[in-house]
Amino acid sequence: MRLVQGNEAVVWGALASGCNFYAGYPITPATEIMEYMARLLPGRGGVFIQMEDELAALGAVIGAAWGGMRGMTATSGPGFSLMQEHIGYAAMSQTPCVVVDSQRVGPSTGQPTMPAQGDVMQARWGSHGDRPALVVTASSVKEVYDTTRLSFEWAYAYRVPVIILLDAVLSHMRENIELPVLPASAELASPSGDPELPFGSHPFMPFSAATRTIVSGLAHDESGATRGSGIGTANEQILKGAIRQIENDAPRLARCRADRLEDAEWAIVSYGITARTARSAVDLLRADGVRVGLLELHTLWPFPEQIVQALAQRVRGMLMAELNLGQLVLSLRAAAQGMCPVSGLGRADGELFTPEAIAAAMSAEIRQIEVGGRMSHHV
Amino acid sequence: MSDVGADLKRYLRSPMMPTVWCPGCGHGNIARAIATALDRLAIDLGQVVILGGIGCSGRTPFYFNTNAMHTTHGRVLAFATGLKLANPRLTLIVAMGDGDALAIGAGHFVHAARRNIDLTVILYNNSIYGMTGGQQAPTTPFSFRSTTSPFGSIEPTFDAVDLALAAGATYVARTTTFDFAEMPELISEAIRHPGFAMVEILSQCPTYFGRLNKLGDAPDMLEYERDHTVVADEEPNQAVEITRQDLVGNLPVGVFRREIRPEYVQQYAELSRGRGGNYGA
Amino acid sequence: MHRAWHGDPLHIRLSGRGGQGIILSGVVVAEAAMLDGKFVVHTQSYGPEARLGASKSEVVISAREIAFPEVAQADVLLCLSADAYQKYGERVAAGALSVIDDLVVGAGRATGEVMLPLRRTAREMGNELSANMVGLGALIAIAGIADPEHGRQAIRQWVKPEFREVNLKAFERGMELGAACVAAPS
Ligand SMILES: Cc1ncc(C[n+]2csc(CCOP(=O)(O)OP(=O)(O)O)c2C)c(N)n1
Ligand code: SF4
Ligand SMILES: [Mg+2]
Repeated sequence: MRLVQGNEAVVWGALASGCNFYAGYPITPATEIMEYMARLLPGRGGVFIQMEDELAALGAVIGAAWGGMRGMTATSGPGFSLMQEHIGYAAMSQTPCVVVDSQRVGPSTGQPTMPAQGDVMQARWGSHGDRPALVVTASSVKEVYDTTRLSFEWAYAYRVPVIILLDAVLSHMRENIELPVLPASAELASPSGDPELPFGSHPFMPFSAATRTIVSGLAHDESGATRGSGIGTANEQILKGAIRQIENDAPRLARCRADRLEDAEWAIVSYGITARTARSAVDLLRADGVRVGLLELHTLWPFPEQIVQALAQRVRGMLMAELNLGQLVLSLRAAAQGMCPVSGLGRADGELFTPEAIAAAMSAEIRQIEVGGRMSHHV
Repeated sequence: MSDVGADLKRYLRSPMMPTVWCPGCGHGNIARAIATALDRLAIDLGQVVILGGIGCSGRTPFYFNTNAMHTTHGRVLAFATGLKLANPRLTLIVAMGDGDALAIGAGHFVHAARRNIDLTVILYNNSIYGMTGGQQAPTTPFSFRSTTSPFGSIEPTFDAVDLALAAGATYVARTTTFDFAEMPELISEAIRHPGFAMVEILSQCPTYFGRLNKLGDAPDMLEYERDHTVVADEEPNQAVEITRQDLVGNLPVGVFRREIRPEYVQQYAELSRGRGGNYGA
Repeated sequence: MHRAWHGDPLHIRLSGRGGQGIILSGVVVAEAAMLDGKFVVHTQSYGPEARLGASKSEVVISAREIAFPEVAQADVLLCLSADAYQKYGERVAAGALSVIDDLVVGAGRATGEVMLPLRRTAREMGNELSANMVGLGALIAIAGIADPEHGRQAIRQWVKPEFREVNLKAFERGMELGAACVAAPS
């Protein structure tokens, strides 16, 4: 058992997953990830490099992946915005990598030291064009570790940039957790596949003497060719395949935690640091005899539609609490398909909700529904 | 590159031919010079990666029978830095356009040079944005026309050699597509150089730069290159002075720096060993 | 009398000015409570705020898994500076214990506010920067927020070797100050 900070848990999770390459650019509240990596990677035979900006950081991580190393970077809002171009490149070139975004209040410089959850949609839809997205979050230091481990696994299984959303509180929070012993160096399975087919549904194969791969952000087919009349279709096929694979696996990828939902008439849905407040809000409401439970989402994208739908069929109303002015509530409402009213509670002033505030919003929604009112969206 | 000799064919990726380059484009001459350099150096092609940014120049990686990365506009050196660090045994040749390297990618260019990471940048300088149809580049000479400087450029011209020298590149050279014999020589020397090497090559874009500035077609433009460059003295300091002279009339060509300084990957390997790590072993 | 610090979860807020080692004292409390076998969550105000002006560090301690990680109303408050007192002095639970440095003017009138010479003691011992540890010692002696032995272990774990001895001594002095004030009839 030891006291571990959220950002430190990212590093341990990454190293335990065989991460041996880190490129980054300092930014609050993600910087400690970089500082730990700077101290640990050289002695482990891995690579640490501070790049000139976040575009360069993710570019280097992608280059390193093709050079055979497992890479990651970490940033916060302003850097995450810059990284969008290379998140798109990683998606297009099917390059496995992990990007941590420790969210702070935005837009722009915003409140650098204060928590937010305003990058949820950017993590899904950022970068131009259509792309598969795997976005995860966590609400405790232990989960940060577990989520990071899973992210590396998924990055390679699906050949996508996996995005981990943290926030300023979680990044700096310390909790006592049990960390597994770190292996001196992780055993990485050596890649195998057909050198002629480096893209599409085929496994990721870094450059070697046996390959003659062309990696490009241009539309391409499974062989990497970028020309020919059918390229548009071939490229669309690859992207569709990647998107569909994640959609098909959504039930397996949808990690969440159900808390007192068995007998619940009402559900609070939340994620990340806000889910912890929501858990306390459930305590308060339950003490008042309200049958409410919490659905805490760990996987944000793919959005766990089936789980939400099953819940929407059972409960009389749902409330989404999040530290933004109404983002994931849109997906929740879409998934609920009108089966129950969905309201949203948001703030973007740099403070966490108090349990009382979430409880009050849930109570207000209950009152409104019970008198037959319409769903509301108050932010 | 269609006229490339049979001996160079094995360096090229024939299914990707013909290239996207216009007839008479200097970029083809440069690509052929790269193939010639690879042939002279007899490097195992499995150990070479050609990278490019975005632009006509950035298409170079497609035409070589090596592993290749065609990256994003201006940022190829970031990818190259990660790739080289991940696998130091690779020989990296990075094709960049003048807009690519000196406008959108200037920051990355400066820092790759500063780190002195072992790779070779071939800077295809056609004084214009070719790919997007002839817009002004930082290298467009003062008073010259482009589609976005229709009345003549009012901006000072950027000198890639100056920038590379100032940033700390350890091998810096400039030549022109007119000097077809010198190109492969400088490129081979740059590839052999253990550190950040840059060879800037003045290249003709008859389609845009030539047409917009009434410079004629490719042969006329090659003569123009010949007539507007001077061979710089090999004495480095003097060479630096010359580059600051009138860039339109008398652009110096030659080798401006050959210097051995600690190389980044080596430095990192030492650091790792010092911490008990086995990086690079 | 209701003693807020007997509750679970226990909400502790440590406050002062940037540079007074507020975050470190939070980590030490969290570590000590962890050694007691509790669940702990430590959060901190961060960035510029941690360097200048009022700064805080919060610890939640419980026998059960902790949900809400921050402290809305402190059950136990440590206050090392006037601006911290202004900001946090009243944000305490009913029956809270507030240990306040006695150089803070205007404090000490509310119930549960205990004025102790934290900074002066630290200064007399040669290092005013260890006032945070004097405060921790007092909190542990008065409110029993952690086992004193675990407090010492936590200091050894988290304080840089060159400051370890000074801080341990400051902690012991704080324990004495706290014990004296518990013994005194009020
Ligand atoms: C971020 C971004 N901005 C703009 C473009 C459009 N674009 C493509 S190539 C190019 C300029 C190419 O000029 P240069 O680098 O000189 O290469 P050349 O085509 O002349 O060889 C531009 C602006 C782009 N691809 N990406
Ligand atoms: S547009 Fe200019 S630079 Fe591009 S291929 Fe044509 S001639 Fe070459
Ligand atoms: Mg150009």
